[in-house]
Amino acid sequence: MEAKEVFERFSERESFLVIGRSIRRFDALDKALGRAKFTADYVERDALVVKVVRSSLPHALIKSINIDEALKIPGVVAVLTARDIPGENQIGYALPDQPLLNDVKVHYVGDPIALVCAENEEAAFKGVEAVEVEYEELQAVYTIDEALSEDAPRIHGGEDNIAVTTRVRKGDIEEGFSKAEAIVEDIYETPYQEHMYIEPEAAYAIPEGHNKVTVIGTMQSPFLVREKIAGILGWSLNQVRVIQALTGGAFGGKDDMGPLVCAKAALAAVKLRRPAALIFDRDESAAYSVKRYPARIRYRSGADAEGRMTAAEVDITVDCGAYANRAPFWLWRMTAHAAGPYEVEAVHVDGKAVYTNKVFGGSFRGFGDVAMHFAVESQMDMLAEKLGLDPLEFRLKNVLRPGSRTTTNQLLDHSVGMEECLRGVAEASDWWNRRRRVKRTEGKLRGLGVACAHHGISTSRGAPDWSAASLILNEDGTFTYRTGICELGQGSQFGHAKIVAEILGAPLESIRVEGPDTDSTPNARPTHGSRGLMLGGSAAADAALRLRSRMVKVAAEMLGCDEGDVELRDGRAYDRRRPENSVSFRELAREMYIRGVSPAAYGFYAPPRRYFDPETGLGVAYPVYTFAATVAEVEVDPETGEVKVVEVWPSMDVGRAIDPLLIEGQIHGAIAQGLGFALTENLIVEEGRVLNPNFKDYVIPSSMDMPRVSNVIIVEKPYRHSAFGAKGVGEPAIISIVSAIANAVYHATGIRFRTLPITAERLYRALRGEKP
Amino acid sequence: MRPLPRFRVHRPESLEEALELLATLEKAKPIAGGTDLIPLMREVKVDVKHLIDLSRIEELNFIREEGGYIRIGATTTLSDLVESELIASKAPALWEAAASMGSPQIRNRGTIGGNLCNASPAADLGPPLLALEAEAEIRSLDESRCIPIGEVFAGPKVNSLAEDELLTEVRFKTPPQGAGSAFEKIGRRKAVTLALVNAAAYIEVEDKTCRVARLALGAVADRPMRLGEAEEMLRGKELSEELIEEVSALCSKLVRPIDDIRASAWYRREMSRVLSRRVLLKAWRRCKA
Ligand SMILES: Cc1cc2nc3c(=O)[nH]c(=O)nc-3n(C[C@H](O)[C@H](O)[C@H](O)COP(=O)(O)OP(=O)(O)OC[C@H]3O[C@@H](n4cnc5c(N)ncnc54)[C@H](O)[C@@H]3O)c2cc1C
Repeated sequence: MEAKEVFERFSERESFLVIGRSIRRFDALDKALGRAKFTADYVERDALVVKVVRSSLPHALIKSINIDEALKIPGVVAVLTARDIPGENQIGYALPDQPLLNDVKVHYVGDPIALVCAENEEAAFKGVEAVEVEYEELQAVYTIDEALSEDAPRIHGGEDNIAVTTRVRKGDIEEGFSKAEAIVEDIYETPYQEHMYIEPEAAYAIPEGHNKVTVIGTMQSPFLVREKIAGILGWSLNQVRVIQALTGGAFGGKDDMGPLVCAKAALAAVKLRRPAALIFDRDESAAYSVKRYPARIRYRSGADAEGRMTAAEVDITVDCGAYANRAPFWLWRMTAHAAGPYEVEAVHVDGKAVYTNKVFGGSFRGFGDVAMHFAVESQMDMLAEKLGLDPLEFRLKNVLRPGSRTTTNQLLDHSVGMEECLRGVAEASDWWNRRRRVKRTEGKLRGLGVACAHHGISTSRGAPDWSAASLILNEDGTFTYRTGICELGQGSQFGHAKIVAEILGAPLESIRVEGPDTDSTPNARPTHGSRGLMLGGSAAADAALRLRSRMVKVAAEMLGCDEGDVELRDGRAYDRRRPENSVSFRELAREMYIRGVSPAAYGFYAPPRRYFDPETGLGVAYPVYTFAATVAEVEVDPETGEVKVVEVWPSMDVGRAIDPLLIEGQIHGAIAQGLGFALTENLIVEEGRVLNPNFKDYVIPSSMDMPRVSNVIIVEKPYRHSAFGAKGVGEPAIISIVSAIANAVYHATGIRFRTLPITAERLYRALRGEKP
Repeated sequence: MRPLPRFRVHRPESLEEALELLATLEKAKPIAGGTDLIPLMREVKVDVKHLIDLSRIEELNFIREEGGYIRIGATTTLSDLVESELIASKAPALWEAAASMGSPQIRNRGTIGGNLCNASPAADLGPPLLALEAEAEIRSLDESRCIPIGEVFAGPKVNSLAEDELLTEVRFKTPPQGAGSAFEKIGRRKAVTLALVNAAAYIEVEDKTCRVARLALGAVADRPMRLGEAEEMLRGKELSEELIEEVSALCSKLVRPIDDIRASAWYRREMSRVLSRRVLLKAWRRCKA
């Protein structure tokens, strides 16, 4: 394809106009000034307030729902139940196990039963309290073991509580272990993590005439939201218009919560023919929204006398909570990354996800790979110790390199910078010296830990994956760029704009990005899996290349030169051989409109087709992987058990750095979030009830807890099939920081934690001989 | 968000006026920074119809040294305490406690009177003010009384004031030259964190002998507590690390903590020992300095 050639030419440019430079984002000022608008800012005063009536029991049959008393409360306009849903009362993501509103059975404390729609908050709260639900309580299941026991109640019917299973059979596992000099086996458990995004869930729905609805919301997948709303209403897709408002943090959670919240607001607006807003409170968000899936991993692995990995046998159980939601995808991701970023000849993996009567899990930055790498990276440290090797040295012997094969036997032929990442952090942290040097200082224990990460970008296995974007050259020479990729704080859209600017030679400020609106922006599919820039940006590049060829053609005619001599730069088209001969984009645009040359382009991108066999679990699991390594130094106070992360050295193979500042932003944020997961965040769930749904007792780190973060080491091993070779960066950094901290705590104290978080009290107890 | 219950706000400019409003209005409550009260009202844990805003009453907002006392007005904010040279130099325990609280935003609003009257067992100003043997002046329209600071606390989140009373001032004797005090806290993060245990000590040393020793701990009983038995072990003795170690070990037995979702009682006992030792050592070192 012609575009591909042009594109390759661009990727090989010696120097770029804007790519690779740290440039201030165009949304920074408005956000800093508080002028950026989020969903709740759009809600008009006369909108109906929607509140959710939730189950107070973890597992029960619904005998009756009585709304009479609620309707008597002044200001309560209506109470909607499953009966009011005109379409299909089903909103499950991977499996059809999740009604939007429950009228038969409830599966966890917080399960939605009805929607109170009121003139104001006060009436809405009173209304919620006045709805009477009569239950027949069922035995509840809270743990993986309970869920798997023979006589456990079946939460969603069927033969057992297993929602899905996975497996990988690669190589001869017996032979692998027979070659091993050292074998280590352990069980790892990771808990829930709540996103605690600064903006809670929100949706505002406005009926348009009698058969259309517009929904503004905080989300990650506008087109999925549209599909789910259409399903609930029994409408066609084009009767639903979904607009993604700027989103105040998402971290995966809003991929799942977007449809759930928007569909409820849409139902209220359509049924009552009035604008309706559903905005979660913090406690509601923290107690009832999706969480990082808890997981239990049994891991056995071995390495030979030379320090080469020979075998890994992994058994994974994911605790879904009440609904499967993303569990199949989560589990597949864990399964496909089970050997870590290392070459292991023989790998057997068995996975299952089980239902329990607790708040359900869902997407969260790192998507299963945080838990998986926590197990892998602990094992690697333990194996190294058994073999008498330095843990970093041991990793270097085994890391994936070009030509290596992954857990699923996927051949990595290029874009594999794991070794460079690891060497980078080793050098930056002065690993070999520092590791020997760190010791007691003023009664504190210091330790240094390392961890690697790899993370497949975008969607797993054979699932179709693509994205689209559009670009218009306006009459005045400015550009309107439209993408379905969401702005969640991460800045992907700005990355797209830079790609467009680079290809068109357009000043960045002449490009305006229009965010997701399902009525006008092309479908770029979800903003998850670290795909926003790689997939979305590649569609942007395709659109820009298409428009560029038309601009060059017309410019060549205007300038009277060959197309090959036209250069686009600084908003002008030049004749390369006679640079004084040029036209501005404004003139060029007018000429294109006059000549009837289309000034708009639609860009489409799909990564190369993949092949995957779910039976053996072998094949091409992801188009490409991002790699990361982190060294962390911690200081443990043995008198209190408190862990202070002193300094962190991060690195990442990003393919190509579209903007180093955006990458740093992602890595710093991931360090904070990973630090919380490793040390303090602990959702307390007793008998299915979340006891700490607030910032006071669900302890996320403050800025004061942030370590010194050393310069981010950016490794660039471009991916051949994406714009400028960029890969995703949102998730990998949280994967390596968690294990690096746990390994550093081990180095400092000699105590290995197989469950998280390593709270001060747990560490204190362990230091006094209790089993960690 | 759950709306606040309906209430009226009154903004008196004088103490007299405020006391009058409190005495006459039904279900009236004073509000200073509101950083404790507003969250409670949102959770519908207090029944309030009238809020008496104390922030405009200038006579309640001061820090001064007078007649051998350091006197602090009730609406003095935590930031005011942190910015005060007087507090930093004469009462470092109080300064450290104020500086450890919340975040800059919270310190800009939260007040000393509010922290005490909210009567949380974990209130960070409790231990240092106990260690400084502070007293509180309590006023109503027709009465004024002065009580030891510990008596402001009547139980978890319950103070001892009558409904028509206000805490107007906190005062303690200006620590003499050579006295030392210190505060320490263990939370679950570095800022914006509730104390799992907090502690403060005040020590005066004369000719190597400990003349005065006071130790107070918070979040280990239903209210901040003095550790009299421990103090006795120090008084009249020559201080040493060993002695302090011994006293601290006793402290972990004197406290009466509970298990909750933040920490176990056992951990709080252990930390009572650690913090007691730390504040005693730090205060002692400050005597010497
Ligand atoms: C995010 C956050 C972090 C916090 N961190 C800490 C912390 O680290 N340590 C800590 O100890 N606390 C902390 N707090 C609690 C709170 O900020 C402090 O207790 C603060 O000092 C309360 O003062 P205020 O003026 O805001 O009290 P208010 O909320 O105004 O009042 C509290 C109570 O005292 C009563 N009251 C106030 N003034 C008087 C008076 N003069 N006479 C009689 N009654 C009165 C009120 O009626 C009310 O019952 C935190 C709170 C928040 C929201």
